[in-house]
Amino acid sequence: MRFALEFEQVTKEYRSLFSKRRLRALDDFSLTVETGEIFCFLGPNGAGKSTAIHLAMGFMRPTSGGGRLLGENFGKASVRRRVGFLAESVALYHRRAERLVRFYGALNGIGRTPLQNRAREVLEIVGLQDHANRNAGKFSRGMLQRVGLAQAMVNDPELLILDEPTSALDPLARVMVRELLIAARNAGKTIFLSSHLLSEVELVCDRVAILHRGKIARLDKTGNLLQAGAQTEIVARAVDTEHFDGAVARNGFISFCVPAQTQRATVEKIWSLGGEVVSVNPVRRSLEEIFLEVTAEPKTAGSKGIQ
Amino acid sequence: MKPVLLIAVNFAREQRWPILTLLLWVLLLAFLGLVTDIHRQREDLLFVFKQDAVYVLAFSVFFGGSAIYNERRSRRILGVLSKAVSRQQYLSGLVLGVTIACAVYCFTLGLTGSWTLGGAGFPISRVWFLMVCLVAACMLAGTVALMFSTFLNPFFAAGATAMVLGVPALASQIFGARWGYVIPVWELGATVLNSSFNSPGRASWVPVLLAGAETLAFWLLSARIFAHVDIAVAVE
Repeated sequence: MRFALEFEQVTKEYRSLFSKRRLRALDDFSLTVETGEIFCFLGPNGAGKSTAIHLAMGFMRPTSGGGRLLGENFGKASVRRRVGFLAESVALYHRRAERLVRFYGALNGIGRTPLQNRAREVLEIVGLQDHANRNAGKFSRGMLQRVGLAQAMVNDPELLILDEPTSALDPLARVMVRELLIAARNAGKTIFLSSHLLSEVELVCDRVAILHRGKIARLDKTGNLLQAGAQTEIVARAVDTEHFDGAVARNGFISFCVPAQTQRATVEKIWSLGGEVVSVNPVRRSLEEIFLEVTAEPKTAGSKGIQ
Repeated sequence: MKPVLLIAVNFAREQRWPILTLLLWVLLLAFLGLVTDIHRQREDLLFVFKQDAVYVLAFSVFFGGSAIYNERRSRRILGVLSKAVSRQQYLSGLVLGVTIACAVYCFTLGLTGSWTLGGAGFPISRVWFLMVCLVAACMLAGTVALMFSTFLNPFFAAGATAMVLGVPALASQIFGARWGYVIPVWELGATVLNSSFNSPGRASWVPVLLAGAETLAFWLLSARIFAHVDIAVAVE
């Protein structure tokens, strides 16, 4: 199987029972997530990220279109045995952490003895081995999120679907999750996650999709996204600023940025003007800049709701 | 079957505080009954017994009507349905959970009723038959409430349940007793409420069996409705 997750022209509209107002959360949305990759879903609040995840998990039905989870149509219960899911703002029953993980594992049909070992194992992976016998109702939000991750991994899933997995975690725990995701990918698992922590996404994701107003605004490999529109900063001396747009003079040097593809021509121009090139450095765009550019709204834009 | 049992036990566990409070109330009343002169106060004991029986019926509607709403609102439902659990299994678990919660109460009521009413001359076998009627009524009432709770909030679900259970009761008063068997919660409740020391009544299993069959029918209907309901809710 090549695709772990497929959305095919999915549209999802929310309608209220007593009103004609409809809100289109996903609009003719198509996407494929390949097996063995870490795929990240970005988007502002209300872009449709969680809606897409909930459709894939079968929590809701699309208004039109459809899709497949590990080769089976959305909503089929048996396929979820091979999936691990962590919801945004995880909510768990008030039980001891180990019992809680065992409860969720048992729902997936794991036998008693292997489940006992596996529950301890996953709690150790998320760093909660010392809290296994504490009531999860008394946990902090970060600890709850770790238990949520443990229950998502208890069945050793082929596909992990994580909605904001690091939102409540401290920096140390974020590193732990990052390493966990990379280890899972190296073990051949597929990870589909949504996040607002763009720096984290840059570090772990193979591909990124930016969702905006229910549609994919940008989709590419993380490296390609960061490279696209890349610029080069050139520092030179013995040449006037007037020859180059945006050049700034400082301490006898001038510096300016040019598109990466014109870098060579610019350097040759400096030489032809009798100047000397001091340094040429690529300026890497951050995912945050790309995200802000893609999701920038004109101030006059109306609501995404349709009547 | 295992997920259904797990969900049922988990549901009953989640309701442990209201159940425990009710059990303590039943035990307290039984204790008070035992320290009085049972034979002189036997009509009062029977009245208290019937009153406790009505409570559990009300609680079954409360349990059923709020089950899905509470799980959705707390978003815990996502954790359960993200596993290999179908919506039908989930509903079965809740129906069983409501039944377990009510059965625990009825068992305690039956036990205390056997001590107190049995001591006052009420046939003990009749006490247990009434408890079976009560569990069957609770199971059906809870399932009807659960069906409405798949698309209504607990307040409206309870109201709609009261209407569905009340219409046959009303019809039985106007058009004849047969109408009470349409949805036999009233009939089963009346069996308990009409019992007396002088005429404990004849044990009829028809409404019990009907309640079982109708529970199955309402459960299937609930599953059909629930299959089309979006269960995800926005983070508050």
